Amino acid sequence: MEERLYDLIFICRPATPEEEVAKTITALEHACAEKGGKVEKLEKWGTRKMAYRVAKHREGYYVYLQIKSTQGELIRELERRLAVSDAVIKYLTVRLDEELKRQQKFQHKRDRKAARRPRKPAAGAAPSAEHAAAQG
Amino acid sequence: MAEEQRPQGGSSYGGPPRREGGQGRPSGPGGPGGPRKGKRQFFRKKKVCRFCVDRVDFIDFKKVEMLQPFIQDRGKILPRRMTGTCSRHQRWLGEAIKRARNIALLPFATGM
Repeated sequence: MEERLYDLIFICRPATPEEEVAKTITALEHACAEKGGKVEKLEKWGTRKMAYRVAKHREGYYVYLQIKSTQGELIRELERRLAVSDAVIKYLTVRLDEELKRQQKFQHKRDRKAARRPRKPAAGAAPSAEHAAAQG
Repeated sequence: MAEEQRPQGGSSYGGPPRREGGQGRPSGPGGPGGPRKGKRQFFRKKKVCRFCVDRVDFIDFKKVEMLQPFIQDRGKILPRRMTGTCSRHQRWLGEAIKRARNIALLPFATGM
């Protein structure tokens, strides 16, 4: 299976001690490593106001992880851990790679278009490129 | 400005058949039929999709400040006719806002 990219955000209770948060993160990293995943990014956004009340809290400690994995199983395991954890009140996992692929596609298309435009009056290569674009 | 044209078009179809004189074009697709007299016409500046201008290919749900201008005070998603967003970007925007709502970055609804 090809590699997939996920965004994982979870929110801890605002009163959670820092060590507890760190422990949760290391536990997640361990789980990742076990299943052959990799944590690409790790950001602690800190305590911020939530848009609505969650578990009777108005604020939450946000942690953001970006995970690369070839196994979807890993996500199930991570979500299970987050659900069990007492400190975590909310979590969200989003698969990103397909959207990034789409982004690259658009980027590529635009680059090609931009590259074609200035060449048009000068070189004779322009019509062929245009032809390819029309077909593809 | 499709929304302004639609009601006009609808009235010309649904109303009584206007046939001035004996023109020999009974029911052909004659189009809008030239300038309409007596109808109010609004000329509004055409809004441009902000995401298209900025060449945005991917709307990130984590960037709340990017999504904020597209929601109402109550937390509703603003319609395209208000913001001028193109359909593709509106679709992505809706997705991003819904994700942000899920993780309490944006409100579902703000109580008064």
